[in-house]
Amino acid sequence: MIGFILADLRRLWAGSLVVVLLVALATALGVAVTLQERALRLGSARAADKFDLVIGAPGSETQLVLSSIFLQPSPLPLMEGTVLPRLLADPRVASAAPVGFGDSFGGYAVVGTSTGLVGELEQLAEGRVFAALGEAVAGAAVDLPIGYAVKPTHGFAELGGHAHTELAYRIVGRLKPTDTAWDRAILVPMQAVWALHGMAAAEHQDADGHDDHPHDETAPGAEVDHPHIDADAVLDEDWSKATPGLPAILVKPKSIADAYKLRQDYRSNMTLAVFPGEVLTNLYATLGDAKRVLVGVTTGAQVLVAAAILLVTILHVGQRRRQIGALRAFGAPRTAVLVIVWSELFALTAAGVLIGFALGFGAAKLIAGYLSGESGVAMPVMFTAGDGFLVSAILAFAACLAMLPAVLAYRQSPAAALRA
Amino acid sequence: MLGLQLAGVDVSFPGLAAPALAIDSLSVTAGSRVALTGASGSGKSTLISILTGLERAGQGRVLWGGVDICALSEGGRDRWRGANIGLVLQDFHLFPGLSALENVLLPARLSGAMTRDVGARAEHLLLRVGLARPTQMIETMSRGEMQRVAIARALLRKPGVVIADEPTASLDSDAGDAVGDLLLELSTESGCTLIVATHELALSRRMDRRIRLAAGRIVEDGVIEERAA
Repeated sequence: MIGFILADLRRLWAGSLVVVLLVALATALGVAVTLQERALRLGSARAADKFDLVIGAPGSETQLVLSSIFLQPSPLPLMEGTVLPRLLADPRVASAAPVGFGDSFGGYAVVGTSTGLVGELEQLAEGRVFAALGEAVAGAAVDLPIGYAVKPTHGFAELGGHAHTELAYRIVGRLKPTDTAWDRAILVPMQAVWALHGMAAAEHQDADGHDDHPHDETAPGAEVDHPHIDADAVLDEDWSKATPGLPAILVKPKSIADAYKLRQDYRSNMTLAVFPGEVLTNLYATLGDAKRVLVGVTTGAQVLVAAAILLVTILHVGQRRRQIGALRAFGAPRTAVLVIVWSELFALTAAGVLIGFALGFGAAKLIAGYLSGESGVAMPVMFTAGDGFLVSAILAFAACLAMLPAVLAYRQSPAAALRA
Repeated sequence: MLGLQLAGVDVSFPGLAAPALAIDSLSVTAGSRVALTGASGSGKSTLISILTGLERAGQGRVLWGGVDICALSEGGRDRWRGANIGLVLQDFHLFPGLSALENVLLPARLSGAMTRDVGARAEHLLLRVGLARPTQMIETMSRGEMQRVAIARALLRKPGVVIADEPTASLDSDAGDAVGDLLLELSTESGCTLIVATHELALSRRMDRRIRLAAGRIVEDGVIEERAA
């Protein structure tokens, strides 16, 4: 029987190949969409996991998270610098670190922060933490050697930013991988970012009007007359001295209860406090609709493929009437005919489904790899227990589908089939 | 070796006024060789469908060696046919992609009747019909060779009856003669009843008895005295 089935499939290899490919592609489409969506969701949730509470100026919660956790380049409003020393003095806070964005180097974000955050993120893989104004720590995915001089660009070069000529950072250390967007960041002292943008603590006192929205500056001359910045100046991390405006502060509360209290206390008209996880959940709820549309489209494609295959096989059984009639005439039992037709179709669809899962997995891996390379956020492409159920469900469906032509063949009168 | 008793068989197709087959009584002695003749549409094919159990007669009885195949279920008739009837058809109905030997064995394999003896008999039969290469793929064979494979297949399970429907009609005369010879020789050797529907005189003259059908009825039934040498 198996020999006959194989001979049959060999004889009809072109049609069989088309059926397998159709099923494989339709399955791959669905699998890739599911896996990619899951990878995106898991990856971003894990990336946000490292950051418990983010405090920024009042504005968009989503923007605050996208900028501070995923380092999306876009201007954030600034909050009073005094928030930072207040947080540091708060007994509910385990640690708090400022983050200042706006500069970049060769596609990597240059992020101003404190030595505390460097330790908070992950241990160093090599080198040491920055200790002077002109030193920097590279993220794990930053492809620059220790000792390399980084001349930051204001904004992103491809977005028409201009170079800061006053200061070059020297990379003195490298972080271990964190699987977050911060892997593609160059961490520098917050004070240096302030200085570069004309917001040094001293100036802050008498240049309030100028400093309110430094990241929105469009006048090219605005930063030309900066004083020289001493790259070797030793860092002073006493934030209680006058602190210029800050786009965001990453806070690690001591306990979950503290986290909720802090979030409540810092939601005011001066500041905005968010749990990144919560913001992401809201974001997914919005994306969930998009996912439903995608799933709907892929399901539609799969139904079309199933219908096409059903049509092909019913026509095929019609064409094989004589062969099936002959099998019966020579004494093959009806059940043998049923099994032959069913197993041929089921073997093809099952092969297609399995190949499709492999293809979909490969495609999702490829896309996730590309996205990870772009953003630094690791995208875990993986199957879950539910997918096993999905495979069984699809195979069960294929088995039922294959029954239809098999029953048609089973019910055929051999005499009529031979006469045809 | 099976004898046939057929009584009161009446087959009508919907939409046709006249019955396709109406035979009050017909008996065939076990081991005899019968030619079935008649023009196209005379009911030959219908009679063969009835005799092989491919179709069930609406009325009447078809007794093969005491078994009324009209009383069997569809599956039962398939089983009975597989075990008792060797069928040879005009268009061979061999399966491409399989070798000659695999084709001979296929029905036995599909109905679970495969034993070592059956395998050995298949090789022997192929040699007997003059095919020395049992592993040759069927699609590379000539039509005459294909019909010989079909004869080997028909005889594999030592059927009591061999029924051939126009076995030589799609062959040239030399190949047709060879096939006719083989059918007669092998049915004699294995002692089975032979029924051949044909409108080739040369073949029908070599049988013991000739039955002519017209419009579904037997119009001539006679023992043939003169035989071709």
